[in-house]
Order: sequence, then structure tokens, then C-alpha cells
Amino acid sequence: MVKRTINQTWAVLALAAIAACSLVGCKEPETAGTGGEGTAKSSGSETSSTGVRRALKVDGPEVKGDKILIGLVAAQNGDQKPWGDDSVKGAQLAVDAANAAGGVNGKQIQLLVGDSNSDPVAGKNAAQKLVNDGVIGVLGEVASGTTQQIAQVTYDAGVPLIAIGATRTDLADIGSNFFRVCYTDDFQGPVMAKFAYDDLNLRNVAIMTDAKLPYSVGLSDSFRKAFEARGGKIVDEQKYQQKETQFSSYISNLKSKNPDGVFLSGYFTEVGPIVSQLRQAGLSVPVFGGDGWDSSELISSGGEAIVGGFFCNHYNSKETRKEVQDFLSAWKQKYGGEPGTTMGALGFDAANLMIDAIKRSTSLKAKDIIAAIDSTENFPGVSGSITLKGQGGNPSKPALVVKVTKDGFVFEKSYSPEELN
Amino acid sequence: MAGLDLSILPQQLVNGLLLGSIYALIALGYTMVYGVLRLINFAHGEVFMLGAYAALFTSWALGFGPESRGQPPQSSALYLVIMLLVSMGACALIGALIELLAYRPMRNQPRIASLITAIGVSLFIQYAGGLFLPQSPPPAISEAVSPYRGVMTAVLKPPPADLAATIDEIRAREQAAKSLAEAAKAENKPEAKGLEEEYRSIQRDLRAKVGEADSQTVRITVPHGQLIMLVTTLVLMAVLRHIVLKTKTGRAMRAVSHDFDSAALMGVNVGRVVTLTFIIGSALAGAGAMMYATVLRTPLSPFLGVTPGIKAFVAAVLGGIGNIPGAVLGGLLMGVVETLVVWAGFSGFKDAVAFVVLIIVLLFRPGGLLGSSKVEKV
Repeated sequence: MVKRTINQTWAVLALAAIAACSLVGCKEPETAGTGGEGTAKSSGSETSSTGVRRALKVDGPEVKGDKILIGLVAAQNGDQKPWGDDSVKGAQLAVDAANAAGGVNGKQIQLLVGDSNSDPVAGKNAAQKLVNDGVIGVLGEVASGTTQQIAQVTYDAGVPLIAIGATRTDLADIGSNFFRVCYTDDFQGPVMAKFAYDDLNLRNVAIMTDAKLPYSVGLSDSFRKAFEARGGKIVDEQKYQQKETQFSSYISNLKSKNPDGVFLSGYFTEVGPIVSQLRQAGLSVPVFGGDGWDSSELISSGGEAIVGGFFCNHYNSKETRKEVQDFLSAWKQKYGGEPGTTMGALGFDAANLMIDAIKRSTSLKAKDIIAAIDSTENFPGVSGSITLKGQGGNPSKPALVVKVTKDGFVFEKSYSPEELN
Repeated sequence: MAGLDLSILPQQLVNGLLLGSIYALIALGYTMVYGVLRLINFAHGEVFMLGAYAALFTSWALGFGPESRGQPPQSSALYLVIMLLVSMGACALIGALIELLAYRPMRNQPRIASLITAIGVSLFIQYAGGLFLPQSPPPAISEAVSPYRGVMTAVLKPPPADLAATIDEIRAREQAAKSLAEAAKAENKPEAKGLEEEYRSIQRDLRAKVGEADSQTVRITVPHGQLIMLVTTLVLMAVLRHIVLKTKTGRAMRAVSHDFDSAALMGVNVGRVVTLTFIIGSALAGAGAMMYATVLRTPLSPFLGVTPGIKAFVAAVLGGIGNIPGAVLGGLLMGVVETLVVWAGFSGFKDAVAFVVLIIVLLFRPGGLLGSSKVEKV
């Protein structure tokens, strides 16, 4: 009898330990809040920008010494490593070119890289370390959830932040020092809605959202609004969570609603397996999504199933514009091959924009550099012309729809902001 | 939140059973080790993870690697068997090593020492794996390995006949409209735009009708691969049952499980029995891992084993830890409960509900569903 009771006690204790591990260890901090009293909402259903940017409370640092330090936060490890690697390479390319041309005011530029480890909290710590190291501006990140955290740090420190691929719209509200070189989900969602309605001839679309990603929640929301405004119907929305691997139960639910297309707003890490399982379950309707699909890994994890899917992207390496071709040849010379994701080009643009602003700035103080970035007009980026003057940090840029093929992503269609109305 | 759609309930139950069969395979390892050593082998989930990587490396060695941009070899059932055996063998070896290096020195220490060692081994393998195993981006086993990529569909209730006829009629009209529109477009006629619009409108009608017919059909779709997975799981369980109940080794295991010291006094080689238990339990995890990675095409990471490990552990406790049929029952139940929670539209609570079920069962049956002092433990 006694022995048995002891065994039970053990079982209960072990269980408690396990439960605690699973709750603490697996908790994803992305939905845990914005890390401050910021106006950005972390996972609410209302995701569009209020258009009100917080004014800075501090003046920020200025360049001391003979070097200009620029920080970059990027995922050097984890799921988002393909994006992180490309943004580092792109930014380094820009910095090297600027240094080769003599730097800024005779000062050389140095790029300091912090690892976000594909995780918002680690990203925040990396940004804090960069600020402590004395950077005059910060670049990054690609993931909206991580950028949300970084933006709090740069807001408190009063240094400019240029996000590389963070498309969630309300990020720009965090502070008047926030800028980005990519379009926002308020544009990307409607682009895919128009494409689905007009080109794919879809009327009853189901959505799959990654409930743990602020990016995915925001994009699904903006797609839903735009698609319904066109007269389409959203027949179902299934919410999975990042790092899940088995989706059969979601897929059965979704299939019973008979969608004629599926919009997947998550990252390529989950989209590949989902689409592969979707096809296995016998659902053969078109699939499409946002720029979270953008990685050549999508093709290896999605296999044959993902071929024929469409997603929204920032630029395409087949474009003939001079900026694109110059960038690609510089990339090839330094790293060989082509960037695997568009974050190479966006990282290059973000770094160039920062350097350009430092050149145009009236002084080497963070405050003046922010003002210089805010007055950018028609900056010739690889990902298109970037104008930030009067835009509240969000550039107005064209977006491309690309098609997934076995060998890569092929340009399908381009939309400018004016075309959407 | 979606309402309850009864027409997909059969499909969801099948989904749950398929998922649960993997949990059951892992749970067997927990329950066997616990039965023999009264030790919860927290590193079991990591053995599972290493098994998945063993399958990945085998598939690469067979020519399905990520670099081979050229034509991969023809898929074959033989490759799957090789991968299964390699994965099981690797796991058996790793399980035996873990027992030898980590648990055996702790054998005569208080039980809490073994427990903490187990947690240590688990963390060690996870983070050592992070250093040496390919993980970012997460690799997945190529789908080209498996020749079983079709699906099997059982229709429980066909759509109404008149609807089927309507669909056929619309489909014919759609085809006609399509060829008209294409012809007009090819000849650049002015009415091409109108014809195109007409075709697209018929296409939408067709989709709507097909959807309507679909929603009135009750069917179960099972990919062939998953069916094979289920059969393999059942065969392995039958083999395990045979070993435990019908062989001399099995008798020794049961004896050790019953009373460690007395069994030793009766001449049972306890050390060998414990090693064998780890080997068998780990090999089952290896089989589960290979199928998890190949059939379900799960992207791999060093933390792959954490969630299935926890779920399988809960399954083992749910069924009555130390009890073999209990582990299987618990695993299947966990799979079904998890699936039904998603079916009901509460996907966010998926993992929490599993624990709630566990707490409820333990409140009423503290020994687990099938656990009682009467049942022989292994």
C-alpha cells in the first residue's frame, strides 16, 4: 500500500514538472504583449494603423569617434535563418560599397549584427545590445513580431529604425523614428484579394492563420476585409500555431466548407507542410499567400503540392531595372549565385537608405538623421522607388504577385498602389 | 469559431486515430521503462527525435538529399523498409547507450537522482543536437521516397443523384463556354471579353454546385501512407505483445517488473533485462519517428521530440503507466481528443485539453484508465 502511494506521488510530481516545462518552455513570447505601453496592439483583431505616431521623448545619441556604427538585427539561427542570412549579406553589400566610395564625411561605416534567433525576445535583447554599443541607427527585422520588440528599444533610445521586411501595418505607430523599406499588409492583403477575385476567379475563400504571428493575424485581417469588400465570401478561418506540424484536423474542417481557394498568411515554415497535407487530403483548389512564403525552402518543404501557388512579393530578380541588375551582379561577385529570398534586396535597400540619410543629415545626431530619413523622396531602391516624405514611415511601393514553380518563383503580375482602387 | 459539423466527424475520428497511433508507439517506450525501473525516461522524446534524423540521413544516403537537384531515384517500398530498420536500430542503440552511461550508475541511488539524470540527458541531447544536427531551415524528408502517395476514399453517404446530374450538365456547358471563349480570344474577336466573362460566371456556378454536392457527401479520406503507418504500428504492437507474453525474455521482464530484487534472486539477469527493455522501447520510438518524419513529412529540429514526448508521456499516464495496453489506449485517446478539440473550433486549447482530460481521469482513476494493482506490469 505504502509503495503504491509513493509511486502515485511520483507520477503526480513528474506530471507537474512536465506541465510546467511545457507551459514555460514552449511559450512563444510573440503574443505576450508589446513590451511597453506602446500603441501597437499585439494580437487584437483590429490591426490597421491608427496613423498616430508617438513623438520621441529623448534626443538620442550622436556619432562620436571616427567610425559610424549601424546596427542590424537578423535571425542568424532558427526557422527564419534564410531571411536573416540574406538581410545581413544585403546590408553588408551596401555598407562595403559606401566605404569603398569614401564613407560619410571621411568616416568609415561599420555594420554590427545582432542575432534575433528567430525569436522576438532575443531580438529585443540584440537591439538593446546594439544600442548600448553606440549605434546611430538600427536596421531590421524581417518578422513583424520581432520588429515590434526592437521598435520599443529604438523608441526609448531615440535612434532611427528601418525595418527590412516587417509588413504589419500598425508597427509604424510605435514611434516617429520607425521606417520601413517594404510595403505594409494594408497593401499586400488587398493585392492578393484583387488577384484572387479577378485573376483566379475565386468567390469562396478559406483562410489559414498562424495565431501566434502578429504578421499573419494582421495580413489575414486585411485580406478578409479587402476580399469581402469586393463581394467575395470568406467561408472559413482556421487558426493554427507556429511550430505545429500536423494539420489534418484543420484541413478536414476547412474542406467541409468547400472553399474554392485557400489563403495562407503564415510563414513558409508552416505553409509548406500545410499545403502538402492539404493536397494529401484531396483538396485541389488554388493556394496563395503573402510575402511570408518567400524562401526557396518553401519549394523543398511543400514539394510538388506547392507548385502553382501564388504569393505577394517585393521585387523579382528577372526585372530589367538598372537597380535590380546592378544589385544582382554585385551580389554575384561577392557571394556567388542569387539571393534565396527577397530579404537580400530589402536589406540592401534599408542599409542604403540609412547611409543616404546620414549623408543628407545636417549633423551626425540621431535626431537629424531621423528627420533626413523622414524626408526621403524617390530613393532608387532595388525593390522599387521609395518615398517616405509625408508617409508616416510606410513607403508607397508596388507589389508583385509571383507564381511558385519547381525551379523558383516566376513573376506573374505587378500592382501599384493606384491600381487597387 | 466554427460550429460543429457532424458530416466531418467520421473523418476527424480517423485523423485522431492516425495521430494517436504515433503517440501510442512513443508511449509504449515510457510505459515499459517505467514498468521495469520505476523510472520516467524523460530522454525518450529525444530518442524519438534522433530516430527522425536517422531516417533523414538514411534518405539522403539513398540519394534523396537536398543537393541532388537532378532526378532522384525511383521511389520504392524497399527504401522505406531500410529507413524504418535503420531508424529503429539507431534508436535501440541510443536507448541502450543512455541506459548504460546515464541511468545504470544511478541504479542504487534514490529515485529522484535518476529522475533528474533523465531530465539532464533530455536537455543534453536537445542542445547537443542543436550544435551538430542540420536544423535551420528545418529539413524534411523528400516526398519522393515513398511510393504510397495516393489517397483512399470511402464514401459513407453519396450526394443526391439530381445534384450530380446538374453538375454534369453545368460541366458540359462550362467546357463549351471555355472553348468558345478561347476560340474568340485566339481570333481577337471583339466579343471575346463578353464570352470570357460568361465562361467565368459558369465556372463559378460549377464551383458552387460542386461545393454544395460536397457538403452533402459524407466521406473518409485516408492517404495510403498513413494507412500503412497504422498497419505498421499495429504489427509492431502485436510483436511486442508476443515478446512480452510468449517468450522467455518477456517472462523475465514481467518478473523484474513485478519485483526487482526477487527476480534477481531467482536468477534473472536484471541488467540484461533492463537493457533489452530500453532497446525495445527505443526501437518502437524509432519506428514512430521514421513514420512521423516520412509519412507525415514533419520538418525536423532538435526539439522535435519535445511535444510528442510530452503527449506520449501523458498518454502513458492516462492509460496507466506501466501498463502496455493502457499506453496504446491512452495514445489513441490523446490523438482523438486533440483532433476533436480542433474540430470543435478551439484549436488554441488543443494542448491544454489533453492535460484537462488527464486530470479528470486521474481524479477518478488514480492509476490511469487500465492501471490497477492487478494488471501485470512490464
